[in-house]
Amino acid sequence: MIIEDVLCPFCGCLCDDIKVEVEEGRIVGVKRACRLGSSKIRGHERIRAPMVRRDGELFETTYDEAYDRAARILKGAKRPLLYGWCSTVCETAKKGILLAEVVGGVIDSTATVCHGPSIIGIEEKGLSGSTLGQVKNRADLIIFWGANPVEAHPRHTMRYSSNSTGMFTPEGRRGRKVIVVDVRKTRTAKNADKFILIRPGTDYEVISALRMIVKGKGDLIPETVAGVDKADLEETAGMMKAAKFGSILFGLGMTHSRGRYKNVDNALSLVADLNGFTKFVVMAMRGHYNVAGFGQVCAWETGYPMAVDLSRGAPYFNPGETAACDLLGRRETDAMMVVAADPASNFPRETVEAMAEIPVIQVDPFPNPTTFLADVVIPTAVCGIEAEGTAYRMDGLSLRMKKVIDSGLPTDEEVVENILDRVRRLADDN
Amino acid sequence: MKKVIIKPLREFWVPVEAERISPDVFAPLSIEEIRRLEIWEGNRKVTLSDLFMISGDDEPAPPGDNEIVLSGDFSRVKRIGEKMTSGTIVIKGDVGMHAGNGMSGGEILIDGNAGDWLGREMRGGKITVSGDAGEYVGAGYRGESCGMRGGEILVEGSVGDYLGEHLCGGTITVGGDAGDFPGIANRGGAIVIGGNAHLPGAEMASGTITVRGRARVLPSFQRLETVEIDGIRFDKFLGDLVDDGKGELFAASVEDGGR
Amino acid sequence: MIIEGGIVYDPINGVLGEEMDVSIEDGRVVEESRDGEKIDARGMLVLPGGVDAHAHIAGAKVNTGRIMRPEDGRRGTEARTKLLRPSTGYTVPNCYAIGYRYARLGYTTAFEAATPILEARHTHEELEEIPIVDKGALTLFGNNWEVLECVRDGDLDKLAAFLAWGLRASRGYGVKVVNPGGGEAWGYGGNVKGIDDPVPNFDVTAREIIRYLMRANEALRLPHSVHLHTNNLGKPGNYETTLATLRAVEDIASSRDRQVLHVTHMQFSAYGGTGWRDFESKAPEIADYFNRHEQFTMDMGQLIFGSATTMTADAPLEYGNARLLKAKWSNHDIELEESSGVVPLVYGRKNPINAIQWAIGLELALLTEDPWQMIMTTDHPNGGPFVNYPEVVALLMSRAKREEELATLHDLASKRSSLPSIEREMDWNDIAIVTRAGPARILGLAEKGHLGVGADGDVSIYDINPEKVDPSKEHEEVKAALAGAKYAIKGGEVVVRDGEVVAVPQGRTYWVDASVPEDAAARVKADLVEKFAKYYSIQMSNYMVQDAYVTRPRVIRAGVI
Repeated sequence: MIIEDVLCPFCGCLCDDIKVEVEEGRIVGVKRACRLGSSKIRGHERIRAPMVRRDGELFETTYDEAYDRAARILKGAKRPLLYGWCSTVCETAKKGILLAEVVGGVIDSTATVCHGPSIIGIEEKGLSGSTLGQVKNRADLIIFWGANPVEAHPRHTMRYSSNSTGMFTPEGRRGRKVIVVDVRKTRTAKNADKFILIRPGTDYEVISALRMIVKGKGDLIPETVAGVDKADLEETAGMMKAAKFGSILFGLGMTHSRGRYKNVDNALSLVADLNGFTKFVVMAMRGHYNVAGFGQVCAWETGYPMAVDLSRGAPYFNPGETAACDLLGRRETDAMMVVAADPASNFPRETVEAMAEIPVIQVDPFPNPTTFLADVVIPTAVCGIEAEGTAYRMDGLSLRMKKVIDSGLPTDEEVVENILDRVRRLADDN
Repeated sequence: MKKVIIKPLREFWVPVEAERISPDVFAPLSIEEIRRLEIWEGNRKVTLSDLFMISGDDEPAPPGDNEIVLSGDFSRVKRIGEKMTSGTIVIKGDVGMHAGNGMSGGEILIDGNAGDWLGREMRGGKITVSGDAGEYVGAGYRGESCGMRGGEILVEGSVGDYLGEHLCGGTITVGGDAGDFPGIANRGGAIVIGGNAHLPGAEMASGTITVRGRARVLPSFQRLETVEIDGIRFDKFLGDLVDDGKGELFAASVEDGGR
Repeated sequence: MIIEGGIVYDPINGVLGEEMDVSIEDGRVVEESRDGEKIDARGMLVLPGGVDAHAHIAGAKVNTGRIMRPEDGRRGTEARTKLLRPSTGYTVPNCYAIGYRYARLGYTTAFEAATPILEARHTHEELEEIPIVDKGALTLFGNNWEVLECVRDGDLDKLAAFLAWGLRASRGYGVKVVNPGGGEAWGYGGNVKGIDDPVPNFDVTAREIIRYLMRANEALRLPHSVHLHTNNLGKPGNYETTLATLRAVEDIASSRDRQVLHVTHMQFSAYGGTGWRDFESKAPEIADYFNRHEQFTMDMGQLIFGSATTMTADAPLEYGNARLLKAKWSNHDIELEESSGVVPLVYGRKNPINAIQWAIGLELALLTEDPWQMIMTTDHPNGGPFVNYPEVVALLMSRAKREEELATLHDLASKRSSLPSIEREMDWNDIAIVTRAGPARILGLAEKGHLGVGADGDVSIYDINPEKVDPSKEHEEVKAALAGAKYAIKGGEVVVRDGEVVAVPQGRTYWVDASVPEDAAARVKADLVEKFAKYYSIQMSNYMVQDAYVTRPRVIRAGVI
């Protein structure tokens, strides 16, 4: 049986045209997904059963015992950190936020090591954006800045950007110009009309120079800016202003290099400036398929999209103080719950070392390096394949993920709910 | 002068929020009442005496006549002196984040290092740090267009990134280096940096930044002239022109590869 | 439950300040209740639960407002309690704060003013999180490609079928139109300059779009009329566009016992002058027109001084705001459908424009003779947050208060508006109409806004005695009493007592399911299949809002058949 229009649970593209072939309750074929999505949908090694660590080793146990242990860890902690949420559906996030409220902890998502800086930039300047369909239907200029979709978002250029066709863009790639700005010539850059090589950590200066040129003050800037020729910048600014609909899509190259959120901040300002001359939008190329969704849920529930400290009962937001890496880097947190993420793989080393010193609860379908640090491991169904729920695409569009096969495992949402339930009962007992 | 001395009873890992440690709060209270003040350690509400040893003068006194001496490692104790209007806090040791948040008068003397967000949204008064301070010294809260509006901060050592972000008034003096983007988005006030700075005054609308060491200057700053101040020659810049800013940046030496 | 001895205002049923009992059973008003809780309301004002017909409380642009304004989040922060989730925010409160704060004001129904179909799922996710109040959302249609094409082709039947489909796809309650045509022009950074300025690439005008949508709305006999945010909103001199728009549709008849068009936040559309220098109020002209044309209704869009967050589907307006005020700016264009913008700002008493704007909202309400044509709103949070409704009521009821306020404002408020000369003071009957009975009628909510038998058991009781307190003089008391209901009752359950929330039931979500002839529906479907294949960035089968997002629906049927 072929199930149509399945949503891929991998990256921020949230492609929703995947065809999945199911036979006797197992996935036997996947069409249209890229290799990253296809690999996830077909499945790989799973955590077989709940586990708890005793004397340094993980032993299989029951869900009951795992919930119990997890609840005790969280209830006993003075500053628990509830982290992850990017590869699960919004329904899980809702329960997670409630759990964080009840245990008086800090909740944060993988945006903290991804597009958190973009959000901080938005708090300074706002974001002039659109849905991906606007880019597809109208954009005649696409600029990838610090982003390499060919490798990180493989179907993006075909579905939404460089190579897509739409109402006002029937010629597709031929009717567009593509510019890539990056610190090395990536595979995406090889398919661009123009490539600008910038030195690592100089995005901010280059953007300021572009803004000056766009605003007609180019004569005031020097002949080279951070190693980039002014002539190159002038040509780029010219292409931007000549576009009917330009777009800047930026990635971790911008958010993770020196300047971080200020780079994004300046890019947002550049796009706002460009709107004085022509139509321009900007978009963050979100990594995981539902990190945007966590941000939305967290914002409507707590007022803030990430890094929310609930320890005193009222939400407090201050990235740099309340983000996951902040807590771990300072060794402030005395317990951690990781849901649908793998911090051991992605976090700076000192923070992973901090994780090793505290009790860690992992809720995930798949074993990963975080499993080695976990004291309680709870396997769950894979959202978007074995469980339904809501996810938000990189442009903020929400869609419903399908369930195509059964797993017999609890969902992330059910697990968090069960732990919450135990925590409440422990509180009542006191 | 009413003097109260506070010492930690143990080492802290989970941060302590102690916004009640302030001359304004202590002024009308006896030592016993001070001991019972509510503070937080992570998600646990405790009293001051649960975590600290408190001794000192018992009689109430106006806030301006209050001196609080914190002796020991307060590096994980946040919000000390928050919103104080007068009086003195002396910290013999390191102090945590948000010291002097929103203060409008009085003085905080830190004989050690200060955590991030020192003097956040300050309106008046004075903070002095003998060691280093962290990031966001004299800065604002996320999303606000104005942070520090008045008062004086003096750090003898170095500071981290985003010194005086969104500064609208007051002065900040740093003896050593500043990190990235000091004086970003400023709309007034004065910043003096004894050492080096990276891209000072980005988005500056007005105000003054002086860098006595080496600065990497943005391409959107216009070099006007050379001036001499206190016997040191500075390049004077106008910026940030990207938004028609009229801030003044003085740099004793300018990094190559930038402007 | 029996609410005993309160002084009741129930204009729909002709009750004007009578001392009487109100009985509720099984969530509805009944003649007499046998037993149950007794509430002593003697000496207190009793009104039907408040109905907010236009506020931006749920969906993508509201959340954008939250995300871009952490500085707003920290205002209005309240810690969680055993019963309540934490609250944050002043102009862009979190979902829980929205529900709790409405309830404390005695409001029991609130409608989200504008939702694009493609992002309606998000709207409903947020509505589901808002506690207590019953709710609904109006669906945006004025810039939708399918609508523009139907209008261009003069195909009324297909348009009506599309409206029915769009309401079902979005689980929406009514037809919302914002800057028709301009939202599509904004796709390339343009706008339309008036109702006869053609929309690029579609060769239709706003005049045609509005007329066709109104005719289709009436063909479907929808409970609410078209709900319109005019073109040129916010621009000096725009009152002419507003009047031209109304004149353009004078001939259209309503299919139900209600208005044929509701113009929203009229304050922003009642401007004279040619620029900001000679900016002035044209509220008298607008009110005069409404006084002579009973088929139209409006809501105020009153300004509240202090912090506000403007958020609207009028994206070009927001861009203009941001440039003028040098403010942070978010914009979001939605493929094939709409666009929107969010800009935080502060309204200042000494700002001459803001002072005049403040006067205009009040002028409109006071100069429109029939209170049934007027709803009190602040276009939350564009004019100001809804927690300030008591302030607006006090201003409407007290000339002295208006004078006190005017004295603190820039003097152009007095010179460029007629407010100083207006003597009228609304009474409790008027207030009951403009905050309850009127909006319920205008929206077409038959069981809301009144306390007749069969009405929903939504009641607000305020600790103020209308027989003893003179609102004209004691406006402070009026404001204080309305800011925290003595009791708020929702569906027969006490949810607020002494201004505190004591219960958090979940409300229901209204949406309209309209039926149309199969052939028209099939033609719409064929168009949509093509649009999804070629232009949308998602699959058609993933588009519609699923049942999971509306867990407590209240479906109103309508339609041609």
